Amino acid sequence: MSASRTRKRRVPLTVAAVVAALSLVLGLAACGGDTVGGGGNSGEVTVAKSGPVKGQLTISNWPGYIDPGPNGTVAEFEKATGVSVDYIEDINSNDSFFGKLQPQLEQGESGGRSLFVVADYMAEQMHDLGYLQEIEHKDLPTVFENLQPDLRSPAFDPERKFSVPWQGGMTGIWVDTSKAPEIKSVNDLFDPKYKGKVTMLDELRETPALVMLAEGVDPAKASAEEWLAAIDRLSAAAESGQIRRFTGNDYTEDLTAGNIVAAIGWSGDASIIENDNAEWRMPTEGCVKWSENMVIPVGAPNTAAAIGWMNFTYRPEVAADITQFVEYISPVKGVKEILEKRGSDLAESEIVFPSEEFTRNCTGQNTPPELDRVNEAWQNVLTG
Amino acid sequence: MAVLSRAWGWLRRNALPIYACLAVFYMLIPIIVIAVFSFGATPKGKLTFGLSHGFTTEYWTSAFSLPELNEALLTSLRLAALATVISTAIGTMMAIALVRHKFRGRRAANLLIVIPMATPEVVIGASLLSMFIYLSFALGFTTLLIAHVMFSISFVVVVVRSRLIGFDRHLEEAAADLGATPLTTFRTVTLPLLAPGIMAAALLAFALSIDDFVISNFNSGTTVTFPLYVFGVALRGVPVQVNVLATMLFALLAVAVLIVLWQQRRGERLAAVKPEPEPEPQAPVPSTAPVAS
Amino acid sequence: MSWKQRLVPYWLLGPGLLWLILFFVVPMYFMGELALRSGTLTTGYAFDWAWSNFPDSLSGHTEQIVRSFFYAGTATVLALLIAYPLAYAIAFRAGRYKALLLFAVIAPFFTTYLIRTIAWKTILSDSSPVVSVLQTLSLVPPDGRVLATSGAVIAGLTYNFLPFMVLPLYANLERLDLRLVEAAKDLYSSSTQAFLRVTLPLTLPGIVAGVLLTFIPAFGDYINAQILGGTGQAMIGNVIQSLYLTQRNYPEAAALSFLMMALILAVVTIYIRFAGTGAFMGDEEEAR
Repeated sequence: MSASRTRKRRVPLTVAAVVAALSLVLGLAACGGDTVGGGGNSGEVTVAKSGPVKGQLTISNWPGYIDPGPNGTVAEFEKATGVSVDYIEDINSNDSFFGKLQPQLEQGESGGRSLFVVADYMAEQMHDLGYLQEIEHKDLPTVFENLQPDLRSPAFDPERKFSVPWQGGMTGIWVDTSKAPEIKSVNDLFDPKYKGKVTMLDELRETPALVMLAEGVDPAKASAEEWLAAIDRLSAAAESGQIRRFTGNDYTEDLTAGNIVAAIGWSGDASIIENDNAEWRMPTEGCVKWSENMVIPVGAPNTAAAIGWMNFTYRPEVAADITQFVEYISPVKGVKEILEKRGSDLAESEIVFPSEEFTRNCTGQNTPPELDRVNEAWQNVLTG
Repeated sequence: MAVLSRAWGWLRRNALPIYACLAVFYMLIPIIVIAVFSFGATPKGKLTFGLSHGFTTEYWTSAFSLPELNEALLTSLRLAALATVISTAIGTMMAIALVRHKFRGRRAANLLIVIPMATPEVVIGASLLSMFIYLSFALGFTTLLIAHVMFSISFVVVVVRSRLIGFDRHLEEAAADLGATPLTTFRTVTLPLLAPGIMAAALLAFALSIDDFVISNFNSGTTVTFPLYVFGVALRGVPVQVNVLATMLFALLAVAVLIVLWQQRRGERLAAVKPEPEPEPQAPVPSTAPVAS
Repeated sequence: MSWKQRLVPYWLLGPGLLWLILFFVVPMYFMGELALRSGTLTTGYAFDWAWSNFPDSLSGHTEQIVRSFFYAGTATVLALLIAYPLAYAIAFRAGRYKALLLFAVIAPFFTTYLIRTIAWKTILSDSSPVVSVLQTLSLVPPDGRVLATSGAVIAGLTYNFLPFMVLPLYANLERLDLRLVEAAKDLYSSSTQAFLRVTLPLTLPGIVAGVLLTFIPAFGDYINAQILGGTGQAMIGNVIQSLYLTQRNYPEAAALSFLMMALILAVVTIYIRFAGTGAFMGDEEEAR
């Protein structure tokens, strides 16, 4: 055989494969729409179906929000209803959870989850994008019988159509009393003598809001400029090294290891922080009060069991169990009395059962005006 | 004086091995720390890396008491096993083709294999995510498997290839002389001799898969692998069981490798194959040869 | 060779190449395409040839890019200095323990990246004995700290990518023909000279391979900066991760990733042009 003939026959597989791949891709490009990955499903809203509570249930939640042990709430629920529960603690920040799940929610899928727990503003965002199912009040008798009055009609879901509160909490200052007992206000955190020994949360609606409160600005009514001013102050503190780090949940580590003297953090984290000198303080100017909500996403399998779970956790005894373990603020009436009867000193705690007086200066989790612009400025501070 | 100079001489001659030991110790420091602190008592069950509360073995006895952790570890092991099998098979085939055969597009193929190794994981993870988003492909175990096989292939090829290059072809030629077909030769001579290289490549692929965090973070959807689980809990206090399981995993793998090595040594001794002659250390230790002034 | 036999290499290469093309090359195309879109999550990302994404993404983050170069570069140099003697020792002085030592080098991989880095975070925490020692040695200012500084991030990068430097160096060193060094000595050169003029140049391909395999992944890393660093240590990897997962600004994230990829591709291609891909893998290109 002559060389040229054999050369022509040898079509390198590489070339063939590349051509095949490119045609596949071009074909897809032709089929795929111009706009991709966004837009949401707003328009039709699904209502979660109720029914007999059985089968399998997958729940996503934040870590440390329930007692997962053999005597914990999950086990109790399984025993009471026969449902087998897959409880996953894979939410560490509203944004990154949303980011991970968004492509699937966009397709109407929930990745197998029937229920998860996100903050107010995230629930609102998801609902606006059409990612959540609505739940009928008639299916949630225990919930609405026991729900605290001040949580029945929040601004983001006035009729409680798609969210049921899980736990609430406050964002304030954790202080290592053996090292910096005099810290009482967010302004104290900017004191140069604590340089490099202070951390703050990376949540837009918490850290800048606290800074605004400390300057006498009301975050609920602040303009975009005022938000940006607070962010600038934080940026300067970050650059000078005053703020050691911006953290998510992991400020607890630094407190435990003794790397910091104070941190902006959440009221219920006592069960996580292994530092007996650490104590949570309400800033003199007020805190950020927030709550997390159970929601049912689109594409959730076994919504009946999810609804059953919601009802179950609103039984006062069960809610008391949860509060005892988690040490956050319960949305259920009557928990304080039950804990008193059990002789738990949590019943006296202002952190778990804050009075109106205690939280008089607190604000909620407010979304700033001109969100994109403000958020971008904030993200720039976070990424150095 | 003589003792001192003798000691100094010994030090100089053995500087390199001593350094090697120190360097290896440096590499193993975190592992030691992890193992030690898996025995530390912590009141709240969260890792503190401090021994102020004393020692305990309770976390070893309750090592499997966290269902999520167990599930994450099992997922990782399953993923790593599958990814290793697939990538080792594919990679070995590629290595054989690259070393033993002539063909066009060799340079392009080489390039394609080498570039993923040098690409930052962020870029690989992010680009895969872009593709999956675009195709509206659900993220989960499948996407993880795809990604893990992808980044392992290159490493497998490199390892097997370097083993193939140093291969003694005379054995294969002898087999051919004795009438074996290429396929039989491959099966009975090449493959067994190649086995250590393939094993090493598989081990590397397995390690890379178990270890991977960045790419998995982008493409896991809701599947939780061991590194992803650790990342999640690391923010809220790592349960000590994580250390325990990590130590166990390491110990198991170490034992497996040691057994393989020991078998190899035995095999060599039994087959009366001479081990490589140890090359004489010359550079950079100062030579004792006289130097003309 | 028969016609069928000629096809054998293609069958062998096929699956692997296909996999790499489908899941490495094609995603790069998608990333490039995503980079040309603009929009937000709520409005969807419309394809409108948004070339401005490329320079925009760069201009907003030059500080992190420069910082990443600095961190990754320093870590690579340190890794080279640590790894070269180690690889040399394993290749020539290890004897029976060679495989064991190599295993010890890869061993850290078996404990997952995160746990290793978190372990370092503890070892270097403000109140740890290690830091106290460093303070007495004046390597760290008396009231200073190691964590949340550039030093900690560089140390983390060096440690985590050390195996990527050791292995190519070792692969190359193993092939070094010591007789050449002997010959140099016989010709009256000192050990240092022999090293500089014979060993070093011969092992240069291994060095370059190791440098590339270490610098490039380190450049894109973000874990070390996140765990060991503080404000002001963010690397470009952190930015990309934040853009993708937190801000969901896919177009800018894709543009930035794409540019990073292009830069690396350029560097690698230039190197391969000069040295051949065989050198990348630590040996000479076969001429079979």
